[in-house]
Amino acid sequence: MSDTTRFVTFPLGEQRYALDSSQVKELVMPSRVYSFPHTMHALEGVLVRRGTVIPVCDLRPAFGHVAERSFYVVAQCNYGGRQEMVAIPVSGDCQLVQGERSQSTEEVTFFAGLLRTGGKTVPLLDLDQVVAHCMQSATGLAGEAKG
Amino acid sequence: MADAVKENERRPLFVARQARPTAATAGPVILFTAGGSRFAIEASEVQEIRDGDERTANRKLKGTESIDFALRVGLGEGILERYVVLKPGDCSLGVTEVERMAALPRVVPLPGLFRGAERQWYRGLLLLENEVVPLVRTQYWRRAAEPAAG
Repeated sequence: MSDTTRFVTFPLGEQRYALDSSQVKELVMPSRVYSFPHTMHALEGVLVRRGTVIPVCDLRPAFGHVAERSFYVVAQCNYGGRQEMVAIPVSGDCQLVQGERSQSTEEVTFFAGLLRTGGKTVPLLDLDQVVAHCMQSATGLAGEAKG
Repeated sequence: MADAVKENERRPLFVARQARPTAATAGPVILFTAGGSRFAIEASEVQEIRDGDERTANRKLKGTESIDFALRVGLGEGILERYVVLKPGDCSLGVTEVERMAALPRVVPLPGLFRGAERQWYRGLLLLENEVVPLVRTQYWRRAAEPAAG
């Protein structure tokens, strides 16, 4: 079973990933991340976009160190049963592409399938899973540090 | 003719689009620093601001319990040079500096991904010029001072 639609692709370190374009709200140039004291260690701070405050999620628990920060992809995710906006830092140019989604033959953590576009195959990111992993990892680390 | 002029005066020149529901305005707020970060508190919730020495001298007389605000929000022990006394006067926040007042800033709710203690600490975030400042939730801090009072 596969379908054709539009996707946004972006790099996280060496690897390129994709998100369904319906999930992506905007691409933001590197801008100031406002920080304030809080307890959610996976959240670096917030971006302000046209009067809306968007949390920036640190993806290191899922993807390791992301060298350089070129853009923020602002996307919608489901976390704890609620739709939330989140900004994820990406390390290179973002592209809007058309392609065909297909299921991966093996189940891989953080991937919702594969995108075939322009003769290439790009993993489709399961943003809900990635955000949940990062939030929980950070909570666990904070707990260990306190203990 | 005069009636037509009056009728025109009653008509609005334009109708503004409905405001975005995400932002509201707060009353005047007092900006303060603690642990190197800036925070805001609604001026209507503040009884008075005392300096450190004054507070020490009056502490027992007034029965005011104080909270090291920086320490409680995870910024480490704060330099307590000012005390923001919350109404009705039985609790104060120890802070480093009281900076200024800001009138009618925009306040937005904390994004939903913030699900920890910060939801208790803050009522929302103020969008000031080139800055995002947490607006403290005074009800929470009054309650937080209660165990110490006993």
